[in-house]
Amino acid sequence: MKPTILIVDDSITVRMDLKESLEGAGFETLLCATAALARDALQRRSFDLVILDVILPDIDGIEFLREIKGSTSTRDIPVMLLSSESEVRDRIRGLKKGADEYLGKPYNSTQVVSRARELVRRNTDTGREKPLILIIDDSVTFRLSLAETLQENGYDVGLAESGEEGLLRAADLRPDILIVDQQLPGMDGAEVLRRVRLDAALRRIPCLFLTASRQAKSELKALEAGADAFVSKDGDPAVVLAKLAALLRPGRASSQWGNASSLLGPKRILAVDDSLTYLSELAEELRQEGYDVVSAASGEEALELLAVQSVDAILLDFMMPGLSGKETCQMIKAHPSWRDVPLMILTALDERDAMLESINAGADDYITKSSEFDVLKARLRAQLRRRQFEDENRVFREQLLRREMEALEVQAVRELAETRATHISDLQIKNEELLRAKEEAEALTRELESFSYSVSHDLRAPLRSIDGFSRALQEDCAPLLDARGRGHLDKVCAATHRMENLIDDMLALAKVSRKELYLSEVDLSAMTRQIAERIQARDKDRVVDFEIQEGLIVHGDQGLLQILMENLIGNAWKFTSKCRQARIEFFSERKGSSAAVFAVRDNGAGFDMEYSKKLFGVFQRLHSEAEFPGTGVGLATAQRVLRRHGGRIWAEAQPGQGATFQFSL
Amino acid sequence: MERSILLVEDNPDDRELTLRALEKNNILNPVILASDGVEALDILFRRGAHTQPQFGETPAVVLLDLKLPKLDGLEVLKTLRADPRTRLLPVVVLTSSREEQDVIASYSLGANSYIRKPVDFSKFIEAVRQLGLYWLVLNEAPPQEKQ
Repeated sequence: MKPTILIVDDSITVRMDLKESLEGAGFETLLCATAALARDALQRRSFDLVILDVILPDIDGIEFLREIKGSTSTRDIPVMLLSSESEVRDRIRGLKKGADEYLGKPYNSTQVVSRARELVRRNTDTGREKPLILIIDDSVTFRLSLAETLQENGYDVGLAESGEEGLLRAADLRPDILIVDQQLPGMDGAEVLRRVRLDAALRRIPCLFLTASRQAKSELKALEAGADAFVSKDGDPAVVLAKLAALLRPGRASSQWGNASSLLGPKRILAVDDSLTYLSELAEELRQEGYDVVSAASGEEALELLAVQSVDAILLDFMMPGLSGKETCQMIKAHPSWRDVPLMILTALDERDAMLESINAGADDYITKSSEFDVLKARLRAQLRRRQFEDENRVFREQLLRREMEALEVQAVRELAETRATHISDLQIKNEELLRAKEEAEALTRELESFSYSVSHDLRAPLRSIDGFSRALQEDCAPLLDARGRGHLDKVCAATHRMENLIDDMLALAKVSRKELYLSEVDLSAMTRQIAERIQARDKDRVVDFEIQEGLIVHGDQGLLQILMENLIGNAWKFTSKCRQARIEFFSERKGSSAAVFAVRDNGAGFDMEYSKKLFGVFQRLHSEAEFPGTGVGLATAQRVLRRHGGRIWAEAQPGQGATFQFSL
Repeated sequence: MERSILLVEDNPDDRELTLRALEKNNILNPVILASDGVEALDILFRRGAHTQPQFGETPAVVLLDLKLPKLDGLEVLKTLRADPRTRLLPVVVLTSSREEQDVIASYSLGANSYIRKPVDFSKFIEAVRQLGLYWLVLNEAPPQEKQ
């Protein structure tokens, strides 16, 4: 299906002219003289492009443009505005309203066609049905016969008879393959290839070189020039076809470059000068060169235009009323989107000062108006080429950088994944080890618990028997026993009691280690008072003065703290047993900002500080059993309780003057 | 007729010492002996080898050791509390253990009291005296179950 263009213009000459050019370029056209007819046509079918005259009999073209762009069914159709007014105002207005392109009349048909093609191409999906081959050969007969062969075999063909024409057509058509004859008038085939390879848009196009003779030299030349393949002109056409098919296979990359601007495509130049005569002369000269020219009569107009349409180069008059050339230049160069556009200042003055000022203002070049247009054109070409190369360079560098970054990223991702995998497997291993260790610990704890449980029952029973039957013996066989016998039995009983205490204390010590901490607010004062009351009640013969500070509340395990205080108070009670006026105190001291310190002080027997290291050892005693009974486990238990709370315990004493046990949680 | 005491204890030494302690305290109620949990239940439910009850009424109190062969003390307790015939029967757990888990379990299953047997025999005598005074004299036993 050929792309269709809707042409809306009230002038019949324009309509016919455009129809001829566009149909010649492979488009289908529909002509309308009024907006009403066009509206009708747009409703009936879809178009790939609308070429719209700004001045229409029934409506302002730009208003119609707004209509088209405002309707959902037509807003995606590209619109090219044609205008006989090359007034910047209209151009600006049109482009602001959404026109995709604006050509001033008198227009260049080739330009219209080329712009039309570009707009259509941009809009449609790339990828032709039939591959397009461009044949560049000066021999008419050869061209036509090859074209016929190709078309028979399903290719579309374009023709050019010289290198120069070939390049222009290539830029225009963006063929899938170029077939270039080595022998060409003017620019030879190798030169064409070289130019093609230099062009951003065309360089990817595979080139098939036609050589006149099977000479090694010509083949070499072809390859050096950048041909992808070569074929002898007088060879078998089948060979040509085969090579074409081979060239096409890797993928039709050329169409992907559709939007790259080619050096050889029409460039748009903005010419700014307050002298309208010079401006039109300049525009004419440039149009002959194939450029699209936009004119502005002042710096202000130029800036307005740049805001709505991009240009490839700017020619700026130095002397202008209002915004001067220098000021305009500075403003353009200050703008990020426009500063890279080559800007050349034109001046009638042939003064060094003017030149310096221009360059200082940021201009890329400076030309005197008095010089011939050829000079101007050459310099313009040079500027455009330089800009093109710079752009290409930048694109290359960006691509290279991007590829490098991608490679780095891929590598980094891979490394990260590897590291993570290693970490995860490490963690998994550690996890398993931990789980196993935990299971072992739990198993051990359970064993310990059942052991303690058995101890608690089974070790006691024989002790009960020993004690009970010793007593029974004492009572029942009293007459048979003398004082010595009775004394022996007393010792037996005493020993069993001690063993019972030992078992109890050891069980308590074990429990402190294995019991799970259950933290809560514990009132140490109340707990201590209860313990004191209980111990007093058990031994009514003694009277001890208890001084217990109120309101001492801590955060800890109730059960374990109970064991702690029972041990400390119990000890204090025991070691004050020989005091006539025993006093046991429980209080708290706060030293500065550190944690609270609690103390149990008694005025009992005390101990020698020299042996204080043994104080907390298991089964270690600083007094003989005769002086004060004890298992030597109590303080070890107290210390373990404190350790489980993350605290510590220490003691100070004087023999005969009592002891103070201090602890912190 | 005095109500009896059911003593459930497997250790013969402990059994003898308990009887001795009761004697020393002049507690003359008849004491029924069971040496394991199954025997204790047979006696209380008049089944098995004990279909002919030794004494007419149910005991005034059961002294129950926890560590018993075959059926342990807690199992016996559970069974007693589950049966309407023995649901209200006063049970004193008399055992060596002071393990918290045993105390909690016993009370949870419905024991009326928990006494830890001291090794010191004189203290044991004192404990039995207090037990006897409380459970056989002071305490109002639940009414007899009609058989």
